[in-house]
Amino acid sequence: MILALTLRQLVGRRPALLMVAFAALPILVAIIFRVADPDLSHERWAANVLLKGLIVTTFLPLVTLIFGTMALGSEIEDGTAVYLLSKPLPRSHVISAKLAAAWLPAALLVLLSTEISAAIALQGTGGASILVGFTVATALGSFVYCCVFVLLSVLTSHALIAGLIYVFLWEGVVTELFSGTRIFSVRQYTLGVADLIADTSRRTFEANLGGVPALVLMAVVGAAAVGVAIRRLSRFEVRGLV
Amino acid sequence: MAAEPRPVSPAAAASTPPIELMNASRWYGNVVAVNNISFTVGPGITGLLGPNGAGKSTILHMVAGFLKPSSGTVDVLGGPAWRNPEIYRQVGLVPEREAVYPFLTGYEFVLLNARLHKLPAADQAAMRAIRAVGMEDARHRAMGGYSKGMKQRVKFAAAIVHDPALLLLDEPFNGADPRQRLQMMDLLREMAAEGRTIVFSSHILEEVERLAGNVLVIVAGRLAASGDFHEIRRLMTDRPHTFTLRSGDNRRLASALVADPTVVGIELTDDRLSVRASDFGGFALAAPRVARASGVTLFEFLPTDESLESVFSYLVER
Amino acid sequence: MARPVEQAAGSIYDLGYRNYEGARLGRRQAITSVYTHSLRGAFGLGRHTSSKIIPFGLAIIALLPAVVQVGFNSLAHEVVDVFRPEDYYEFIQWPLALFAAAVAPELVGRDQRNNTLSLYFSRALLRSDYVLAKVASLATALLVLTLVPQTVVFLGESLASDDSAGYLRDNWRDVAPIVASAAMLSLFMASVALAIGSQTSRWPLASGGVIAYFAITFVVASILVQTLDTGPPRYSLLLSGFHLIRGFTLWPFGVTPTLGFDGEDDSLTADLARADLPLYVYALAAGATIVVALFILHRRYRRMAL
Repeated sequence: MILALTLRQLVGRRPALLMVAFAALPILVAIIFRVADPDLSHERWAANVLLKGLIVTTFLPLVTLIFGTMALGSEIEDGTAVYLLSKPLPRSHVISAKLAAAWLPAALLVLLSTEISAAIALQGTGGASILVGFTVATALGSFVYCCVFVLLSVLTSHALIAGLIYVFLWEGVVTELFSGTRIFSVRQYTLGVADLIADTSRRTFEANLGGVPALVLMAVVGAAAVGVAIRRLSRFEVRGLV
Repeated sequence: MAAEPRPVSPAAAASTPPIELMNASRWYGNVVAVNNISFTVGPGITGLLGPNGAGKSTILHMVAGFLKPSSGTVDVLGGPAWRNPEIYRQVGLVPEREAVYPFLTGYEFVLLNARLHKLPAADQAAMRAIRAVGMEDARHRAMGGYSKGMKQRVKFAAAIVHDPALLLLDEPFNGADPRQRLQMMDLLREMAAEGRTIVFSSHILEEVERLAGNVLVIVAGRLAASGDFHEIRRLMTDRPHTFTLRSGDNRRLASALVADPTVVGIELTDDRLSVRASDFGGFALAAPRVARASGVTLFEFLPTDESLESVFSYLVER
Repeated sequence: MARPVEQAAGSIYDLGYRNYEGARLGRRQAITSVYTHSLRGAFGLGRHTSSKIIPFGLAIIALLPAVVQVGFNSLAHEVVDVFRPEDYYEFIQWPLALFAAAVAPELVGRDQRNNTLSLYFSRALLRSDYVLAKVASLATALLVLTLVPQTVVFLGESLASDDSAGYLRDNWRDVAPIVASAAMLSLFMASVALAIGSQTSRWPLASGGVIAYFAITFVVASILVQTLDTGPPRYSLLLSGFHLIRGFTLWPFGVTPTLGFDGEDDSLTADLARADLPLYVYALAAGATIVVALFILHRRYRRMAL
């Protein structure tokens, strides 16, 4: 029920439509690419530029950020979260419902975008494993991102900005510069999983983090995020001095 | 207008009282919102009264399990209120904030609450609650289009849909028009008569005076007074009671009354006599006697500061 | 003391209330007030500490590279250019964008959410005044983030070098382009961020929208230019905020963008080099974007029913 309620809240408004437009962008870019310059190396371009650069680096975090922080965050901010929390429901139910409500539309958009644009870009090459690799990677990556962002929305009312800073400063700049911090970047986990499954040479695509460590870290971070979120929600306090 | 005298009998509630605070405090850094408050609340209607910022909402939030007491205990229905979602089976909460889900209809909202409570016949319970608050006609309209009073009524329906033994309302009459207020007050009285415990907070004296048999006055985070407010008034012996008299000959009556030992001061204004007396009962007996003896006819005899207003301002200034 | 005017059932008491007959400060003061208030709000001054963390945090991050460079040079006893003044903004483009994204809803979302706009516009304040004051305040805030680091670098370098006066003599020509590019950048980011942020009263969507604009246009334009070197796609750079900024920053310095070492460079500058458009075009496009953004922003408030 909470799932259905939240889905109704998240989808069907103007921002959701804009999301769909964003999802279409990679597809458009793929089409332009195919039409314009047929003799470029498809696989490399598809893996590095389209999938890594556009989708994983930009589209995936933005979509999961919006849905992830708004699923629970908007309720807490508006004050309607009280109705969900003043019920004899374990907090884990609330968190998992919200998480699912965030992940379903986000994953749907990202996967559709990935599938179609990758299919267009990789058409005629043997790069099917790239497509499979990124499909699995973005499915898992979107889930872990959602876990982190739902946690953020429980922790602070500035969840979205905090999430933006995490994605574009931490993941975008810091982890690129200081390779040791790669283990704290969901983006790197996603790319690592893609690399593991995609059967490509080094020149085509390589992630900075190995596949197996990436999967392990995904599981750890995801579980930890959900656990802390449940714990914090059971100690939910009405904010401010009333 | 006096409230129905409803005796608070914590002694009679030998089993655990529905709400029990023991030395409960809540502070935010250096600011103490609730300062070492202890009280118990039993069945019936209890009003939490105090100026804004006194700590009423803080106390209600602690009782509702949405704030952790910094020290002391807040127990509801035998167990702690904090981190205890099980209490919500028996507790209904009407929050102060107006926000609801604008895309849901009134009926859907109450039904949602019923389902979240895992009620076996959720739709019937929802309809019952909606009928009780008088929202049957508007129940299929989206709540985004409701007026403030309608939202309040639906929130109320959502809070009672699971038939709770304890009902908490935070400033429930804010923005309600007089008719709605009367309806809700009647409904609350009915529910209290069934043996439920109802606690509501307000800074509007008239509401508390009309509805609450038992009053808890919170001032600056401390419990300033508790009990029936008439009784509280009696207890404030160091402040003189004021009476207003009208008679056939005020001046003659005044000079006669001055002689009486219970009288502390008399004032002649327009055609009224304002008398300050140290002993409520004593003066009430003496005045007619004095009037008779002086041959003056008494037309009107009113205690003027029995209202919660005067009680309240006295306590605030203390 | 109360003096009853009527002796009948009701009485009116003359409490000494008087109308204000003095000078009224008028429109100019109103605009200045909105400006000052917004500027303070941008940095969270006069508010709870938690609303200061993000603006000041990002400002410090924007300052960091400058501090590092000056520190490094003063220790190394040799003026080494870690980065040139014209490159600085590229370093901090994300903190700048995040600052604009974080502050925009504070400036234009808060008034919409709290329904205080009717208070503003029932005074001697036109919609255009309000808009200009808001843009000016965010631009000023961004100027702080852009000029302070540059000043730190400039002064720090001159002090760190053995011949301060000589350093100033050699580099004073940089001052005007530094200020000009900072001003353009601030105005550009401010108008775009406010135009996007004002479309919704929900803070997360406003911030998300601003970043989405910068991130998505940046990446898509980059991809198009990198994969399709010539022809119309290079004009897509004119739609990308970060590229425009890079372009009109290089212009006053008279630096032409070149490709990196092995032609594999995928940086902003390389994109500009590939596109091979004269730099003033970026300034023009930025100007056009500013005009469009201001128009959108103004329109939003003009059409708003209060």
